[in-house]
Amino acid sequence: MNFFRHHLLIALAACASVVPHASAQAQSAEPDATTSIVRVNVTNQRYNFAVPWQKQRPTSRRGLGAVLKGNKVLVTAELIQDSSYVELEIASTGRKLTAKVEAADYEVNLAVLVPAEDPGVFFDGIIPLEIAEPAKIGDMFEVWQFESNGSPVSTNVQLQRAEIGRYFLPDAYFMEYEVSGLVQYRSGSFTLPVVKDGKLVGMLLSYNSDDQIADVLPSMIISRFLDDVANPPYEGFPNFGIQYSVMLDDQFRSYLDADQYSGGIYVSSVIRGTSAAASDLKKGDVILEIEGQAIDPRGNFQHPDYGLLSLSYLIKDTARVGQELKVKVLREGKEVDLLVKLQRKEPGDYLVDPYLFDRGPKYYILGGLLFQELTIPYLELAGDDWQNRGPFKLVYAAKDPDTFEDEGRKKIVFLSGVLPSNSTIGYEGLSGLILTKINGRKILDIKDVDAAVKEPVDGLHKIEFTDFPHMIYLDAAMAETDNTQTMPIRYRITDLKRLD
Amino acid sequence: MIKTLLRSVAMQLSLVVLSGISTGIAQELPLDEKTTSLGKQYTGIVRIENASIVPDFATPWNAGLPRGGSGTGFLIGKNLFMTNAHVVSDSNRVIIKKVGDSEPLLARILHVAHDCDLAVLELEDPSKFDDVEPLEIGDDIPKLDTAVKVVGYPIGGERISVTRGVVSRIDFLAYSHSAVDYHLTVQIDAAINPGNSGGPVIQDGKVAGVAFQGYSGDVAQSTGYMIPAPVMRRFLKDIEDGTYDHYVDLAVSDFPILNPALRRALGLPNNGQGIMVGSVNAEGSADGKLEIGDVLLEIDGYPIASNGSIDIRGEKVNMAEIVERKFAGDIINLKVWRDKKPLDVAIELKRFLPYLISARQYEQRPEYVMYAGLVFQPLDRNMMSALKLSNIEVRRFFGYYVADELYKELPEVVVLTTVLPDAINTHLEGYAGGIVESINGTNILRLKDVLPALDNEAAPKDFTVIQLRGQGRPLVLEKARVPGAQVRIMSKYGVREDHYVE
Repeated sequence: MNFFRHHLLIALAACASVVPHASAQAQSAEPDATTSIVRVNVTNQRYNFAVPWQKQRPTSRRGLGAVLKGNKVLVTAELIQDSSYVELEIASTGRKLTAKVEAADYEVNLAVLVPAEDPGVFFDGIIPLEIAEPAKIGDMFEVWQFESNGSPVSTNVQLQRAEIGRYFLPDAYFMEYEVSGLVQYRSGSFTLPVVKDGKLVGMLLSYNSDDQIADVLPSMIISRFLDDVANPPYEGFPNFGIQYSVMLDDQFRSYLDADQYSGGIYVSSVIRGTSAAASDLKKGDVILEIEGQAIDPRGNFQHPDYGLLSLSYLIKDTARVGQELKVKVLREGKEVDLLVKLQRKEPGDYLVDPYLFDRGPKYYILGGLLFQELTIPYLELAGDDWQNRGPFKLVYAAKDPDTFEDEGRKKIVFLSGVLPSNSTIGYEGLSGLILTKINGRKILDIKDVDAAVKEPVDGLHKIEFTDFPHMIYLDAAMAETDNTQTMPIRYRITDLKRLD
Repeated sequence: MIKTLLRSVAMQLSLVVLSGISTGIAQELPLDEKTTSLGKQYTGIVRIENASIVPDFATPWNAGLPRGGSGTGFLIGKNLFMTNAHVVSDSNRVIIKKVGDSEPLLARILHVAHDCDLAVLELEDPSKFDDVEPLEIGDDIPKLDTAVKVVGYPIGGERISVTRGVVSRIDFLAYSHSAVDYHLTVQIDAAINPGNSGGPVIQDGKVAGVAFQGYSGDVAQSTGYMIPAPVMRRFLKDIEDGTYDHYVDLAVSDFPILNPALRRALGLPNNGQGIMVGSVNAEGSADGKLEIGDVLLEIDGYPIASNGSIDIRGEKVNMAEIVERKFAGDIINLKVWRDKKPLDVAIELKRFLPYLISARQYEQRPEYVMYAGLVFQPLDRNMMSALKLSNIEVRRFFGYYVADELYKELPEVVVLTTVLPDAINTHLEGYAGGIVESINGTNILRLKDVLPALDNEAAPKDFTVIQLRGQGRPLVLEKARVPGAQVRIMSKYGVREDHYVE
């Protein structure tokens, strides 16, 4: 997705006329691009989920960051994902400074960078940006960027509407400003700071050159993120944990005795380990109100400034972890008032991690058998259409984790492939098999593999799977020889496991 | 997908063939071949023209599309012609034409075996073949690198065609007609083209096999396949009692013991013998007789190698070949290695039906129930090919019905395949493609359960409530609105009957 957006920006360069900013006044007290934004050059290197001991070829991304007080730089998290090197650059002078990631939240797509070395004179003349208050429909913003020679460019855009849209992760929906205007794209950049009256009002996430509409990550999300970062430990944004159906169907409404109400959404499932699961909310409830706001049958409420917004705004964007939300539901024809204490389910709390950045996938190599913990990025090796093309049993586990969690599993550990070696003869074709036991010990996460292989029986490892062929054996001594010789020498694998 | 039936091209060709006949030109073309020696030799080899109706499982209330195709067949006894099942599938009318004679002779299908792609036909009036000698079926599998010729009516002309080649390979391969069956197969390098299907492959004056499938030219060249004589003989023996009883199945899957540690763990001597049982299907022949981790050492006295092959008179064949030649009720004797001790196990063989979910089936009138525009159909390959459903539960039940023994849970998987749009179901269109779990509180285990469940007068009184598997919200219809909608939808969409359930 990120590359797609990037290309959209590039495509614009061909048709946009260049109107450079009138002047770059470095001494002005009013912040502008020259005084308040910096280039951010990043080398990204992602782990290869097929061969998890290796990283992929390094790539580079460029973006713009907004300088905040305290020599911090705000960027989108997408820019610095899996970064191995981050560098700040003053556009006009080309002066550079090595930086590091202080905090990143991939769900809200924001990150804070700080100098990794003594900044010296790097920040001299810089005016930090303040964060703007929430904007009103019709407000004018400026999109700031640089010419390739470092002179500033500013473009005016207008706020058209606000909506709950998808940030760069598949399930991360938060508020976005939709702005219109002809954004002139100058130098390759992942994101552009958006400013209102000299204050940072958002970060431009994507731009569609055909209809000249851009999506902007709004300042209220930025403020919440920065506030959370400033008050450790970082708590993140809460999850509610339901799936719901719209209630437009008159027959369905009548069946639920909901036809006397004008709104409401049907709770079609409650996800384990979430705020909703910990509360009294049940599948089959019809949510009529959240925090006193009436929910319409499509799941929207009326926001005083922005009109109809998804109910997720009332939970993820505005409420905090630990807060108790007042929820009014219709249950068996009667209204019931509930309190839902908001929690956050971290990506690592899921049976199958929904995303994984900045660290490698967990794996264990035994003689050439490659065991991994299942993650969505692993499944994405099958392409965007992984839900249809990925190894079915693994896709199914990701879609329907409950039965695996009932078995006490914390993660799905599976045989992702077999590296040919002396000990793995005859097993070359095996892959995508979910482990149940090794040497009689249940495998609930990758650490169990590490423990179980220390206890071979009669010099043999017995490995059991949920599916055909259900069990295989490995010669423990031969596997050890392969681990100490074949793997490091032939495959040049120096780390046979990554357990954390 | 690589392997394509000769039929697919034969279908396209058939239009040309049939139109040629209707203009009358074809009647003038064939010469009287009785007078030539070639003609005399091949008088028992006939052209078969099949007019079929192929049901459309996407519109199960319709009869389907009329199609036509042609292939080859040959006389094997008094008024008994053999051909491929795929030449005469979904047949409405079969015509046989004698070599050099354009008169269409009406034929009847006596038996058709879709699992081994063979069929036998008879003529309504066999008098034209009174003086024709039947072809003799060979005794065994032809040897590698021996010469064969293929005779039939392939594309490229009207008259009989002969191509020559050698036996290139003997293997145990998939028969693409049903897409799930594996049998002994002989590969030859004589050209086999669309229209050759069902024709004899001749060696030493006898039929060594029936030409039946090949690769399209852009995949592999000079690679044609025939059904060898043992498979033909088995089919003929099976139908001796007047019914075709199909193949039997051990219903286990095996895993080769190639790893020394696996061999040691199982306590086997290092003699390259034995194959491990990797799964045993419930309700199959071996259920309760074999276990995962058992090692099969011998089958009917033939030692089994660690890759699953046995040696029959110097010829390495898959051990399944022993099961292949048996019939329902026959006993197979296995020497099994269990808990490091040998054990004799006798297994009575029977058919294993759950695997049919993934088989292409023929002569099958689509079953369905249509209620308020919601169309319910059983899950099988024909339906999936027509509708290509992507719902994850549907894919699980379709793909793992046998491997995960899901047939124990659902004897038949009923799917809400289609929603025919109407005012009554306007909010339900997005739910098409899911498995029906229950209707009005009754679990749906087969299509037959649907109508009684819909008629169930039990609560909720005013609503029909349909629960789909993995779908959080039920689909709800007001009962009072259904009869009117049913009439409207049937007329609007041309659904003449609201159900067909066998």
